[in-house]
Amino acid sequence: MNALRAPCFPEDAIRLRARTGAGAAFPAAEEYGATLFGAAGGPSGDRLDSLRLVPPVFVPQRLAKLIELGREPMPDDVDLGTEIGGFSAPLPVYLSAFGSTQVGSGDHGLAASRQAGRLGIPMVIGENVVPVNGYGRAEDNPRGALLERVEAYAAELPDGCGGVAVQQSTQDADAEVWNLVYSDPSVGPLLDSGRLAFELKVGQGAKPGLGGMTLVPAGSSAALAELYSLGLALGERTLRCANPGTFTQEILRQQIRFMRNNFPRVRCWVKIHPGRDVGTAAAVAWAAGADAVTVDGAEGGTGWAPTSFLDTVGLPLGECLTRIGDHDGCLLASGRMWEGTRAVKAIALGARAVGLGRAALLAVDEDPGSGLLRLAECLALELRLLISALGQYRPDTVGADDVWWPGTDAPTRERVTS
Amino acid sequence: MVQHDTPPGPRAHLSSAVTGQVLRLQHLLLTEVRSFLCAQGFIELLPPVIGPVTDPGGRGSKQVDIDFYGHRYKLMTSAILYKQASLLAFDKIFYIAPNVRLEPPETTSTSRHLAEFHQIDVEVAGASREDVLALLEHLLVHLVRRVVADGAEHLERLGRDAGAFTELLQGRFGRMSHAAAVATLRELGHEQSADAEINWAGEAMLSAKSARPFFVTGYPKGSRGFYDREDPALPGSLRNFDLIAPEGYGELCSGSEREFDYARLVTRMRETGENPAKYAWYLDLAREGIPASSGFGLGLERLTRYVAGLDAVWQASAYPKLPGVVSP
Repeated sequence: MNALRAPCFPEDAIRLRARTGAGAAFPAAEEYGATLFGAAGGPSGDRLDSLRLVPPVFVPQRLAKLIELGREPMPDDVDLGTEIGGFSAPLPVYLSAFGSTQVGSGDHGLAASRQAGRLGIPMVIGENVVPVNGYGRAEDNPRGALLERVEAYAAELPDGCGGVAVQQSTQDADAEVWNLVYSDPSVGPLLDSGRLAFELKVGQGAKPGLGGMTLVPAGSSAALAELYSLGLALGERTLRCANPGTFTQEILRQQIRFMRNNFPRVRCWVKIHPGRDVGTAAAVAWAAGADAVTVDGAEGGTGWAPTSFLDTVGLPLGECLTRIGDHDGCLLASGRMWEGTRAVKAIALGARAVGLGRAALLAVDEDPGSGLLRLAECLALELRLLISALGQYRPDTVGADDVWWPGTDAPTRERVTS
Repeated sequence: MVQHDTPPGPRAHLSSAVTGQVLRLQHLLLTEVRSFLCAQGFIELLPPVIGPVTDPGGRGSKQVDIDFYGHRYKLMTSAILYKQASLLAFDKIFYIAPNVRLEPPETTSTSRHLAEFHQIDVEVAGASREDVLALLEHLLVHLVRRVVADGAEHLERLGRDAGAFTELLQGRFGRMSHAAAVATLRELGHEQSADAEINWAGEAMLSAKSARPFFVTGYPKGSRGFYDREDPALPGSLRNFDLIAPEGYGELCSGSEREFDYARLVTRMRETGENPAKYAWYLDLAREGIPASSGFGLGLERLTRYVAGLDAVWQASAYPKLPGVVSP
């Protein structure tokens, strides 16, 4: 019996992948010849869902690959390796921040950290982890504290890839999370190998315009009362609300410069919520020197959020990517990522990589030892199948030509590429 | 320079002939600081040691938290907020203030960082940056003149050639804008961001090629704390400065015209990633009005190191605490 539930998420399909790995990319073998398959499900309001990936007939990049290899290329020839916010990664995937909820911290957080390390993909550690769960030094060492997750990750991490991004929100600034990490000798190896980033948290994916929210046991509320607005008792717990932080273009620009000034040895990431001015925000962040901008579509998450926000507040991810448009920066996208098509569509619309959040938690809930490894194995297989079908062999060459928008009025004019 | 790599144990350090000479020079410097500033009408106040907030600083240094009857308080990283507040009582004040900053371990190798150090902290109501630059120039000339006159024996025993101060004693400190410093470093092939502090290696290069102390002025917003006033005539540039010693000794002092307007302070706090709610006592004062001012913090151990010609700043402390090094 699994403890974790995700009723608004394709939980069963993710659990199947966490159990069986790449085989789950296909219908069950026993159904072969006995079941008719077809599309299912309706549109969610996110244009990303209604997009189709559209392989071309003529594939000049496959010809280039054919010449390079001296044989016909296959999906296995897709090189998924990429650069994510200054870190090398073997596939265009990173582990999203989980925040400080019970689900995201503790054993699940540790299991996901360990497996992300083994995969060599970057890992983001969420805001509020230090104020709520602790940092992890001697007298302050609950399960899932920041240092424990970093150590679990680093212990498995191969040389030359991956990295940790530590978030800090306006409220976290009181706990000096970045100062703490930057001066901690135990983080030294990541710092010395260029595999530490700080992510400025400008907004919440699941609740754009609000600060972080978690439910804390009533007993722990007094200790946090000076830091957080605590208005509401919910059962035996209390709702903890962090402030959202006030940003203008100049405030964002200067905060990024201050980060780069103060922490010259770390990469600078910026997480923005799916606001209507997401394109301007991303442009400001890149211009100020951000190594990566993360946009989190309004898709829910691991934290506590008002139900009114989950369905109707914030731009869907596809619209965020469209508004950000053409750019030269590193754009990271998260929100309901777990399988290949949504990931490739996001990449086609400008994302460098996609983040696994809830899917990673479900996967380690299904199997704490290897669930995320198998989920990633299946995802990597799908990425290779899809990207090679588009006649390409690297994720960063996938682009807007590779998707079709249904319902666009003007007929799409073909661009002859060979 | 007198060569030492790391502090020996407390007995060896405190009983060494070098330490004795250095601390005598430091005593002379402190005596003359007080004499000079008091003669100019300054009031010496005793600095606060703890408070609900302190200078947020920069460059990754961590504050020290203490439990104040269940409330999180801080040891002072600098008393800048209290300096501004003190001008409600007196127009010209100074502290000899202890500061604690848990600097990143990488600063252990800069030869000029201590986790615990002291500043000669000066604040003047109604003063401009130019006013305090002149004050600092006069102060430094006075101090070095007295050291050369009254501390010649100590300098000689430390092997410090008083001829190194010839240009300083003529009172002709150099001036260089931050933009010019960036351009100079780039011409020298050194990588330096125009939006950031002069990095430590760059500062050492500028210091080494100068024969006299010089000021770097107008650091960019995004490199300094919220209390350095933005130049109204030059948005993005701050009305601040550093004093850089020659011969590679590097920065001795930082200062600025201060921001005092409530709304601008709140905005600048956000631009530096701070949560204004933390600074309630200070912002309440600012909302009702605090004087415009300028001031500076002159590092006592750094000044001693420069005057005494020491290899490392820890030699100028009786109880040196290097970043990341467990010390008595």
